[in-house]
Amino acid sequence: MNTQTDIGPGEARMKARRRREIITYVFASLLGGGIGIILSVADQGDGSLFLGEWEEMVLDPTIAVILATTLLLSLIALPLWAFTVTDELVLKRNLIGYTGGSMAVMGGVPAWAVLHAGGLAPEPTAQGAWAIGFFVTMIAFAFAWISSR
Amino acid sequence: MKNRLKVLRAEHDWSQAELAGRLDVSRQAVNAIETGKHDPSLPLAFRIARLFDMTIEEIFQDGETQ
Repeated sequence: MNTQTDIGPGEARMKARRRREIITYVFASLLGGGIGIILSVADQGDGSLFLGEWEEMVLDPTIAVILATTLLLSLIALPLWAFTVTDELVLKRNLIGYTGGSMAVMGGVPAWAVLHAGGLAPEPTAQGAWAIGFFVTMIAFAFAWISSR
Repeated sequence: MKNRLKVLRAEHDWSQAELAGRLDVSRQAVNAIETGKHDPSLPLAFRIARLFDMTIEEIFQDGETQ
């Protein structure tokens, strides 16, 4: 017998999917927060990872390895794992986003280099290359999201 | 690609979330398929056809079908 509070098996699965998504977001947030806290406590220099002041950062080698592992987990392993559990529409949006970002770096950095050689742009930097990848990924993802909603 | 998913869902009195759960996809995916903004993969098209006990061709039309 159905009541107002009964939900179908499909909606129950949807709620379970939503719970998994929330757990993933919370886990990713904890990783990000952990990286920020460790950096604020452990950085012995005057640099900043998030502002691109990498030359001034000074870290204990053990802390550096822990941070590098955590960054690789949160920025590579976690998204790759998410690809295996998400549905095909979200996967398509993410692939468009990441493809846009990686193509922007592959094409954008050499273009930047020749513009620099021609005196039209400052020298290419690692921070700049990362920023191109990040922002174009976001733009490409937003385009994919808007065009399929 | 045109499809009858919205009509079939209404006939079963299912919400988008209910259908999404039965197909193991997100509600957004169901919405995108219904509005023609996303063409499902072949495995998903087969799952949809099995769920409604129909053939894929009875649900999806590629626009060239007479």
